[in-house]
Amino acid sequence: MPTTSPDAPIATHSLVLEGRQIEKTVNGPAGSLTILSAVDIEIAAGEVVAIVGPSGSGKSTLLGILAGLDQPSGGSIAMLQQPLNRMDEDERARLRAGKVGFVFQSFQLLPGLTALENVMLPLELGRNANAKKAAMQMLSEVGLADRAAHHPLQLSGGEQQRVAIARAFVSNPQLLFADEPTGNLDGETGQRIIDLMFALRAEKGSALVLVTHDEKLADRCDRRLIMNSGNLRSA
Amino acid sequence: MNILFDIQFALRSLKRDTQAGELRVLALSVLVAVASVTAIGFFTDRVGKAMVRQASDILAADLLATSGTPIEQEIEDYAASLGLTTAKHVRFPSVVINPEDESQLVAVKAVTSAYPLRGALKLSKLDSRDVMAPLDTQAPGTVWVDAQLINILLLKQGSTLTLGARDFTVERLLLFEPDRGENVFELAPRVMINDNDLESAGLLGPGSRARYTLMMAGEPAALTDMSDWLKENQNHVRVIGVSDGSPQMQRALSRAKRFLGLASVVTVLLAGAAIALAVRQFALRQADASAVVRTLGASRANVVTWLSLRLLLICVAASLIGILVGFVAQLLLADLMKTWFSLALPAPSWRPPVIGMLTALAAVAGFGLLPVIKAGRVPVMRVLQRDYSGLQTNPWLTLLFGLVAALLVVWLQSRDILLSAIVVAGVATMLALFALFGQYLIRGVRMAAPARFKLSVAGLQRRTASSVIQLAAFAIGILALLLITLVRVDILSAWERDLPDNAPNVFVINIQPSQVGGFSQQLESQKIDISGMYPMVRARLQGSNGEAATGRRTRWEYNISHSDSLPAANTLVEGEWWDGSETGLPGLSLEHDWAEDMGYGIGDTITFKVAGVETTGIIKNTRQVDWESFQVNFFIVAEKRLLDDMPETYVTSFFLDDDFSTATASWARAFPGIATLDIGSIITRVKLLMDKASMAVEYVFFFTLFAGICVLLAAVQSTQGERIRESALLRVLGASHSQVRSAIIAEFVLLGAMAGFLAAVFATVIGWSLSRFVFELPFQFNGGLWVLGIAGGALGIGLAGYLATKKVLTTPPVVALRHT
Repeated sequence: MPTTSPDAPIATHSLVLEGRQIEKTVNGPAGSLTILSAVDIEIAAGEVVAIVGPSGSGKSTLLGILAGLDQPSGGSIAMLQQPLNRMDEDERARLRAGKVGFVFQSFQLLPGLTALENVMLPLELGRNANAKKAAMQMLSEVGLADRAAHHPLQLSGGEQQRVAIARAFVSNPQLLFADEPTGNLDGETGQRIIDLMFALRAEKGSALVLVTHDEKLADRCDRRLIMNSGNLRSA
Repeated sequence: MNILFDIQFALRSLKRDTQAGELRVLALSVLVAVASVTAIGFFTDRVGKAMVRQASDILAADLLATSGTPIEQEIEDYAASLGLTTAKHVRFPSVVINPEDESQLVAVKAVTSAYPLRGALKLSKLDSRDVMAPLDTQAPGTVWVDAQLINILLLKQGSTLTLGARDFTVERLLLFEPDRGENVFELAPRVMINDNDLESAGLLGPGSRARYTLMMAGEPAALTDMSDWLKENQNHVRVIGVSDGSPQMQRALSRAKRFLGLASVVTVLLAGAAIALAVRQFALRQADASAVVRTLGASRANVVTWLSLRLLLICVAASLIGILVGFVAQLLLADLMKTWFSLALPAPSWRPPVIGMLTALAAVAGFGLLPVIKAGRVPVMRVLQRDYSGLQTNPWLTLLFGLVAALLVVWLQSRDILLSAIVVAGVATMLALFALFGQYLIRGVRMAAPARFKLSVAGLQRRTASSVIQLAAFAIGILALLLITLVRVDILSAWERDLPDNAPNVFVINIQPSQVGGFSQQLESQKIDISGMYPMVRARLQGSNGEAATGRRTRWEYNISHSDSLPAANTLVEGEWWDGSETGLPGLSLEHDWAEDMGYGIGDTITFKVAGVETTGIIKNTRQVDWESFQVNFFIVAEKRLLDDMPETYVTSFFLDDDFSTATASWARAFPGIATLDIGSIITRVKLLMDKASMAVEYVFFFTLFAGICVLLAAVQSTQGERIRESALLRVLGASHSQVRSAIIAEFVLLGAMAGFLAAVFATVIGWSLSRFVFELPFQFNGGLWVLGIAGGALGIGLAGYLATKKVLTTPPVVALRHT
């Protein structure tokens, strides 16, 4: 893993995500606490990378910072060649719209919207005029066309996660983040969800950054990074 | 992102929102607030106008211009230019002679055909007491006479009366003359003739003591304009408006308005509190969704726009339904009131629905904007790590926003910034006190609770902060309901006591000193109780403090009485009553408000002229007079020595149960010169007004009750999420269904009883202040309030809590733990 200064120019265009010297410290009751220290990471277009590590090692914090959901305390991140750490929150949101997908452990569907409307959301935020058609097609691809009008609470956990996957892929994202996508599902359902996610990823050619505890799942990825006490290293 | 998408997106969420508990409560609160503001607005608007009209009946017009000389054409023209309808009458004393050559001094009133502009004459034939309807105009050459004259001159239908240079036919008995009360002390019996007959009878020569009156009716703005113009340009004309009329009616009217105003402000504040609770709950629940959509690319502004739009849509939809409900409610009431009013209610105006809508928007925006902005700023990392902080609003900013919103909402109702500030400051203080006492109360209950209530008390303990908020909300809700009950029951009944059924309805004036003994015996023989015989001297104001009075004041005549002691139903405001040992100028006692209007104070001297003789007194004290008592009262009471050897007559008042003209038939002949006046109709109208006001208060109370229920629901709803999670955990850990249920019910009963106790304490204090300072009525301690507060609070909130948390019990623990 090359080590460079945080201000070094970012020029590698085949990379969809590049983080340099990422630091994250928080002020707790016992003083300053380092969660991430000098993390470097590069994700190439279409690459599938697993981040594994024990609970509390900083995996989710890193994922959040890489996705622009949180700001690092130091270092730089480029997402799709844009300097994420120099953008404000709304600029980062605009950058994600339609180009970055998410799959969460707790599904995070909007309870007020139907399955179809949930899937349409990223397209609409990216001003796609054919949102409904594309979303319906995506729902068919995950096998939930007949559940389009259902609200999340009317769906099983597995179905909800399939809707979430449809929502993640509907805008053909260049980059997909997944946080323990099977954490809330039983083994068999989880396996089917993973199969679906990998199949769609292969079809769309998206890069995938996956945080997981699941060793079998990590084995299916191109690369595995191990997070330990705020440090990241290759397996 | 365009606005169309924003609206679409907001609408999409709205479908589901309608099933969310807090939004139902929000919509219901908005609906109740708007319905009540609209209904009360429509109601006070229409009934208020009708009440003023009813008060106008006493003048038989909305505005009078009177003068000792004929009213100039210029004045009539100006009234016409303002679109006012007019009528005229001339009043003067004269003498009538019957065919038997018996004569009688009478008070003639010559009226034009449009008279009266407000209210109605009641007429009958002399031989039949059936009221004539429709009321006909007076034919030339006929006179209408009152019962007194009929009794004196023994007149019959068609009798001839000579008045001035010509004969008239007696055509009608005047049963009721709406504006007789305006000149209640006009001494002689009434004879009413057509204005066109004045000239042929040659009644008004130069120097005749006539009073000319132009009567006007029309729109309030035009009336104000007219009144101002007259006061500015027509110095010789005396202007009398509705507010200058009967003080009894005025006080009844202003009290009724205060009742309604108070009730509607309380209703709106309660609904506002419910809105505040519900909107905050809504924003809290949107924190997760906000983080998710921002993860997917939405900006903070997008989120705030969507949430605001959703609130706006709910607010507008609920407001529209509220307006409809308010409109229908007032229609029903207006229909009910029609039977009470002699006239059709004026049409409703567009203002109440607009005010209703503005109130809802102000409440939702004021209480909701801050939580919504906060929801838009919730950290996006919540999607990955739930422990990332949620909605943390600055308590001072929240307080500031809440106060401004409450101020705006109350101001929209009262249009009185000072009053609004006082009310809002009062409510804020109250909430703070409730929260403070609530903490101690919860702590006390926690220590004192028996073992079997452990689970419930533990609930209160776990959520101390939200329990205190709930307690304060419950207490303010119960307080409002208790207060309205207090106002409704206690104050209304005190008001009714003010005007007892046996209030005097007959005045007898012009009793000569030599007749006092005989007349008293006559009344005694008819078993009529009198309040007393009061001496009365007619006097003209000459000047004060050695300076001659100028302008219209010099033309006014006053009835001055003398007394050794403070008259009954009067209270001293300033100064001392005389004890008879004083020397120097004789003492004067003035009615307090009148003295203020005239600019007189203690120690000023006033000179009067009585029968050509000047006499001067010094102001020793001022009195408050209870005009609503209908007892004989005087603006000016003097020490006896001021009026020694002055020509005096006596006046008395009493309650007469029998028919007026039958009972008084023999008096006029036995005691020549005395004049009896039937004021029963005025009393009836004041009573009618009070009844209407009571009805209105009852009606408004209904809305207040609803608003109170909304607050309770919103407060119960505010902890529902926590309760669902907690009860799921308890059930997972082995608590039975009934254990959890009893714990929840007991917790709410406990909260309700505590809130009821706090509310009863404060209701008693506020009730006392309201009676004492606002309604000026005696206060009565009401023990029922405490029972109602504590027992009602425990029962009502226990039930509301149980019903609203049924979902807590029916949600399977696994669902509760997964989704909340």
